[in-house]
Amino acid sequence: MIFLRRLFWLIVAFAAAFFLGGIALNRGERINSIWLVLAAACTYALGYRFYARFIAVRVMALNDKRATPSERLRNGHDFEPTNKWIVFGHHFAAIAGPGPLVGPVLAAQFGYLPGTLWIVIGAVLGGAVQDFIILFASMRRDGKSLGEMAREEIGKVGGFAALFTVLLIMVILLAVVGLVVVNALKGSAWGTFTIAATMPVAVLMGLYLRFWRPGKVLECSALGFVLVMASIFGGQWVASSPLAPWFTWSAMSLALAIIAYGFVASALPVWLLLAPRDYLSTFVKLGVVLLLGIGVLFVHPDLQMPAFTRFVDGTGPVFAGKIFPFCFITIACGAVSGFHALISSGTTPKMIAKETNTLPVGYGSMLLESFVAIMAMVAACVMQPGVYFAVNSPAGVVGATPAAAVAKIASWGFPVSVTEMSALAHSVGEQTLFYRTGGAPSLALGMAHIFAQTGGGQALIAFWYHFAIMFEALFILTIIDAGTRVGRFMLQDLLRHFSAPLGRTSWMPGVILTSAAVVGGWGYFLIQGVRDPLGGINSLWPLFGIANQLLAAIALCVGTTILLKMHGVKYMWITCVPLAWLVLVTFTAALEKIFSPVPAIGFLAQVDRLQASPAAATLTTQTLIFNARLDAALCGILLLMVATILIDSFRVWYGLLRGTRQSRVAEAPFVISQLRAEEI
Amino acid sequence: MSRIRAFGRFVMELLREIGDENAYRRHLTVHGRAHSGAEWRRFSEERMRAKYARAKCC
Repeated sequence: MIFLRRLFWLIVAFAAAFFLGGIALNRGERINSIWLVLAAACTYALGYRFYARFIAVRVMALNDKRATPSERLRNGHDFEPTNKWIVFGHHFAAIAGPGPLVGPVLAAQFGYLPGTLWIVIGAVLGGAVQDFIILFASMRRDGKSLGEMAREEIGKVGGFAALFTVLLIMVILLAVVGLVVVNALKGSAWGTFTIAATMPVAVLMGLYLRFWRPGKVLECSALGFVLVMASIFGGQWVASSPLAPWFTWSAMSLALAIIAYGFVASALPVWLLLAPRDYLSTFVKLGVVLLLGIGVLFVHPDLQMPAFTRFVDGTGPVFAGKIFPFCFITIACGAVSGFHALISSGTTPKMIAKETNTLPVGYGSMLLESFVAIMAMVAACVMQPGVYFAVNSPAGVVGATPAAAVAKIASWGFPVSVTEMSALAHSVGEQTLFYRTGGAPSLALGMAHIFAQTGGGQALIAFWYHFAIMFEALFILTIIDAGTRVGRFMLQDLLRHFSAPLGRTSWMPGVILTSAAVVGGWGYFLIQGVRDPLGGINSLWPLFGIANQLLAAIALCVGTTILLKMHGVKYMWITCVPLAWLVLVTFTAALEKIFSPVPAIGFLAQVDRLQASPAAATLTTQTLIFNARLDAALCGILLLMVATILIDSFRVWYGLLRGTRQSRVAEAPFVISQLRAEEI
Repeated sequence: MSRIRAFGRFVMELLREIGDENAYRRHLTVHGRAHSGAEWRRFSEERMRAKYARAKCC
């Protein structure tokens, strides 16, 4: 039996090496997407079986006899011992957002290989380790949050850095996801109608759940799903009716509408709009991820994108910058995401019934998230490269007319024609697909291509395209609503030190004022993104990536401190290796974004170029100059935060190693578990 | 067949957990209360207050 088991893992190891080698060494020939899927699956299996188990047994010494907080503090609400696969699904649904879908699509401009390798290796050695260790640490500390653990293990500076970074990320995240929606819906009557219709549908669901059928969440969500599907069909009718101009909006109008929506939605009662849509978007998200996985396995399309494109040199039209560091900043959530540390130290540790369940939940969920990112990479790479670049390149880079854009893209070696793009746009019920930056439309095209081959054929491709857009916009709007609300709470918490009424969440003027401040923050960056001649994504997505990886660095600093206290230097490398990599990536990216002499990359070089232009004195140019300086300052603040948390952590680690600092582990006391199997 | 049924049960349980229906059932058991519209509103308000005080993941 042992021999067979060893033989099995040996075969898996050879398979992983074979498939990874296959995708890495293949040149010139088209490769089938199944190679990516199998390379990822075999590597995940090895990482889970050997590396994660090594961490679980040797480093964490997980012990099922030790009562978890869900048992000791059981209250029937947050603290509840729950079946491990249900916690797995719950945790996965919480960590899976637009990041693992959009990031790989944008990074596909380098070719399929760099992003794929980073997604697989980054998740196995970095992202999943971070999620696992933070979940373990929080579980052993009665479900404490990352901020609380940072304050306890590192110090007040670490705690403040975590809090401040979360607020910064929120502002940038909301702006960047808002921009993704704007670019997906601009000029699209069908898409705009469908998304607009989800709002009354959500309100109807809210009323249904509160007054007509209280507690029937699944029933209500099923009703919501049917109505949303009907709105997709309705959108098709609207787009070809006299109502179409009513729903055909410019990017700026859409941005202003999203800002107004964010302000109103975040001040409305949660039960009316946010909660019902959140339930619906979570169910749809899980369903679509499953459908995409099945679709890729069933259709296993050939990848049209080469392993590497010419844009590895940093001249990419989607975003500027070389593979290092920008590929690793662009793909955050599919490989390493600091945001996951907030979820791993949020609801999840309070539901863990047995300590060993942290292995599938913490490590396993991240591997599944990484697999979603691989699916997104496949969806982006099944398109002809010329089409991919025509959709994802801003007018400021490829030219303001379709003819100029296709000529420019063809000159890069990726032939595409205006007729081809028009036919494609027509087939998905759109006027045009040029300049749809942000990743969502190209992801929707790739998904529609895969779904259409699974069922319905080309006749349903327009439906699938708009279904994918609806799916992305649905949870992005939920993020905007919830994020604005959280930002408001954080701001009110801060302001209560200066004015007690401003800190009260029930005082309407305070709610309005703080909501306006938060919406103003991300709304400013959203407008900046819409006005940006380079498409906005070029400056906003790297900022978001840097901020997210900074949060991961904070989480890994907390993890390192805990490992150091538990075992001395012996196992520090487990968190120090990904930490060192993230610090290198974050520092290089932030420095390049500020100081690179290439205007498409460096914010200060952009300022110089704008100041030297003949239109330097105009209000538009002055605004662009101010925005570039603001982005540079924001990048500088992020750099400062990385440096601060690192110096503070080094101080703590030095004290621990020298023995001048107490190395007491701040875990909850050991209590024998009395939990019976039938209780879970 | 029994495996398919078990898988179906698991999927429904997962959906109920994500949809807070299980949490509501536990709430009723812990507090010894019967289901009513007012009880659901009380439960969901408390739960949502905690849920939406945390950032949603990217």
